[in-house]
Amino acid sequence: MEEPTSRFDEDSTLRSRLEADPEPALRWAAVMAALALVQIGSLLGGLLSILDAAVVGVTAIFDVLFGLVGLTGASAAVVDVQSALSGAVTTARDAAEGLPTLLSRETIPNQGHLASADGPWVDTFLGLEPALAWAVRVLLIVGYSLFTFYWLFRGWLVFRAHYRQADWTPTDDMIDRLRDHRWGQFGIFVLALFLIMALFGPALGPTTVSQNIVSPYSHEVTYFNADAGAVETVAAGDANFNSKSKGAGDQNVGPMTYDNFNRFHPFGTLPNGRDLFTFMMGGARITLIVAGLAIGLSALIAGGLAMVSAFYGGNIDLTLLTTADGIVSVPRLLLLIMISAIFANHWLAGVLDGGFLLALIFAFTGWPFLWRAVRGPALQVAQEEWVDAAESFGQPPRTIMRKHMFPYITGYLLVYASMSTGGIIVGLAALSFLGNGLGITPPTPAWGRAVSLGQSYVSGPSWHISFIPGAMIVVLVTGLNALGDGIRDAIDPESAGGDDDEAAAGGGA
Amino acid sequence: MSQATQRHDDTDEETLIEVRNLEKYYGDDGMFSPPPVKAVDGVDLDIKRGETFGLVGESGSGKSTLGRTLLRLEQATSGTVSFDGTDITTLEGSDLKRWRRNAQIVFQDPESSLNDRMTVGEIVREPLDAHDKGTERERRKRVMDLLSRVGLREEHYYRYPHQFSGGQRQRVGIARALALEPEFVVLDEPVSALDVSVQAKIITLLEDLQEEFDLTYLFIAHDLSVVRHICDRVAVMYLGKIMEVGETEELYEDPVNPYTKSLLSAIPRPDPTDESERTTLPGTPPSPRDPPQGCQFSTRCPAKIRPEGFEEVSEETWDAIERFREIVRERTRVELGTVDRVKRRAGLFSKYDDIDEAVKDLFDGVERPPVVDDHLTYAVEQVKAGHPQDARERLHEAFGSVCDRERPAHHQVGDRGRESYCHRHREEYDDVESAIRR
Repeated sequence: MEEPTSRFDEDSTLRSRLEADPEPALRWAAVMAALALVQIGSLLGGLLSILDAAVVGVTAIFDVLFGLVGLTGASAAVVDVQSALSGAVTTARDAAEGLPTLLSRETIPNQGHLASADGPWVDTFLGLEPALAWAVRVLLIVGYSLFTFYWLFRGWLVFRAHYRQADWTPTDDMIDRLRDHRWGQFGIFVLALFLIMALFGPALGPTTVSQNIVSPYSHEVTYFNADAGAVETVAAGDANFNSKSKGAGDQNVGPMTYDNFNRFHPFGTLPNGRDLFTFMMGGARITLIVAGLAIGLSALIAGGLAMVSAFYGGNIDLTLLTTADGIVSVPRLLLLIMISAIFANHWLAGVLDGGFLLALIFAFTGWPFLWRAVRGPALQVAQEEWVDAAESFGQPPRTIMRKHMFPYITGYLLVYASMSTGGIIVGLAALSFLGNGLGITPPTPAWGRAVSLGQSYVSGPSWHISFIPGAMIVVLVTGLNALGDGIRDAIDPESAGGDDDEAAAGGGA
Repeated sequence: MSQATQRHDDTDEETLIEVRNLEKYYGDDGMFSPPPVKAVDGVDLDIKRGETFGLVGESGSGKSTLGRTLLRLEQATSGTVSFDGTDITTLEGSDLKRWRRNAQIVFQDPESSLNDRMTVGEIVREPLDAHDKGTERERRKRVMDLLSRVGLREEHYYRYPHQFSGGQRQRVGIARALALEPEFVVLDEPVSALDVSVQAKIITLLEDLQEEFDLTYLFIAHDLSVVRHICDRVAVMYLGKIMEVGETEELYEDPVNPYTKSLLSAIPRPDPTDESERTTLPGTPPSPRDPPQGCQFSTRCPAKIRPEGFEEVSEETWDAIERFREIVRERTRVELGTVDRVKRRAGLFSKYDDIDEAVKDLFDGVERPPVVDDHLTYAVEQVKAGHPQDARERLHEAFGSVCDRERPAHHQVGDRGRESYCHRHREEYDDVESAIRR
């Protein structure tokens, strides 16, 4: 493992190393730039949307704080600043979204209509039929995104091979083990797929959420009316009304079929005639945002408190233990329903269509499970002598936890977080399934609501309404569990199950 | 060995660390909590500037705890540690942080003492970062310098601890301890986890560094020969108490405390003509939760003073009695369950009937004169009835001597600062040597 000399001069900087051998970096950067360029519009748009949300969020906090201490004048000023800033950002975003983007609905349109009973198709990409045009766009978007994810990883590989000072780090071994872990890779693939759905949802669907679901009567659909033998225009809402899937033979638009308005439905339609695929893409976005926020917050609380209880121990640990047990002792779904009901008319319930409140509830009911799981490893690290060593030269507790304990529990945190995310997703779906003011506020799409809508048609021709959302939830949750398994085996090879590993270990010993 | 004495002569006699009546107890002092573990139980020490002070003892004797308390890794329960005139047990906040630069530690286990998610350079640089020493570049230069001083190479800066052997890792630990230029370094068994061949190299390195940086060492070890090689003065610790302290050669050549004698006699001697008898210690050290009321070593002491009135009892019988007392003492530490308590009350208690076996083994072929027999019979009955505490007290009353009842004082022996913790040094008793030979 040891080489006689190191690869670089000990004093070299990353810059000097880049200058010494720029070729691999340039090759990587060129491809990356090309990838970014074709999507520049939506990339900038996305970044500016995040910035906008951040501006609104931060100013809202000040607004609330000033309101609490009674500075109404300051509060009003903050609102002015907020609207001014947000307006500027929104203008910039609109400009950015005006930039041409390769993988957009506009570049590869699929919404067209027949010019006559035998065609041709008008307004679609290259005159292809809508199903094909849609398929081309979806394949391109998924392919593009997967390749971009890979290329980002590739960037790290290039850095590791050509520019990193250390020729080996403990992370290398973990990544290498994950590269041989098929089940874990399946998890990564599934998570990537759903992330793509959340990110590119509006471009993936055959139609958009606003056109088809939120305000169908402000949008029109042009189609070839076979009965009248002419091209006609109708409000999307009216078209939806006549494309319902209600289980009967004449009232069903199944997966991969067209309705009577020349619209293609990859997953069929809902009982109210809306497009299920578009609904699912919208649902993916809200699901992943809520689940991500919830698990992120949980992990933050759990990790922090686990280190605190391991480092200080004693009464602090005992207090945390009691608190955690108290939270755990109330059934989670019951707690979710109660808190949702209490906050039903609070302004918090309006943020992210109720998703933000749900994320907070999931986080504050979920951290005890994570905390329990990582407290063990944290206690173990706290016993290590390097923690004493850091204390002996006067490192403050905060730094000790961050530098000497956190790196050892992140792995466990990732494992347990990815496994519990499944629970959050199922819980969220359950709330939306129950409806009645619980879960995500309609009409914003939510997976659980789709399952609930299709409940009475499961055993008929409209089986797709419940089955497809249900199957997608199962796939995502399975994928997250697979990811957790993969990370666990990567950080701790000794925990890997299976006889092969044991045999190999025995042979090596 | 002459090297050791010579080095001692070099040091000025100024005291760097003065420990007075230091106690470190673990456990709560709540009404219902079990008695605390007395890890360090009243220790007085003087460590002189520039010397290597050895601290030896069995595992569990509290030597590591003492070292850690001197560094404020543990908060002392009571007593003072003055470092260069400042009492460090009461330092807080930034004063404590500033003082910490003066005192560092090298740990026993190089596997556990280095954070293996950090490069060696980061590890050694961390103390400098924590105290904001110099600029980024200066720190790096200092780390490189330290690495080469401890026998590593500069390119090791970007390696991870995983890539090093135990000896190399220990060098990294030493470099980290020296980064802040401390005056005092606690070496907590720095070589006991290493191969013998590597041990010698690390010891030599430590000696060289001491000379180069004028360091004062507290060398904690259980390996007596290493201590003899490197230390100027040695303290022998048992159950939280210093049993004997003195200059290394003097103490090794002529131990005066019974515990030191038996400890040193355990070192194998390569000389076949050596006639000196080995003193093996019976039993195990008592629990530090429940140390003997008198001298800590009284339960195992080969030179224990016999109370008056038992002069006629034979040596074998007396030994058996002492072993029997130890068995009873062990019994008193066992908590009885509810069922056993109920049984005891109903007179059906039979859990301790095996005490008969033990007594039979101990007193097999040993006479039991009437002066002792009554007490023994009473004790056995009490144990069988489920009241070992009563038995223990009766035995203590009957057979307890000054060693069981009173804590000894530290007696000056000789004129070179030698001290020993034993009643035998009082004039009215025979000295240790003749007591052991008996």
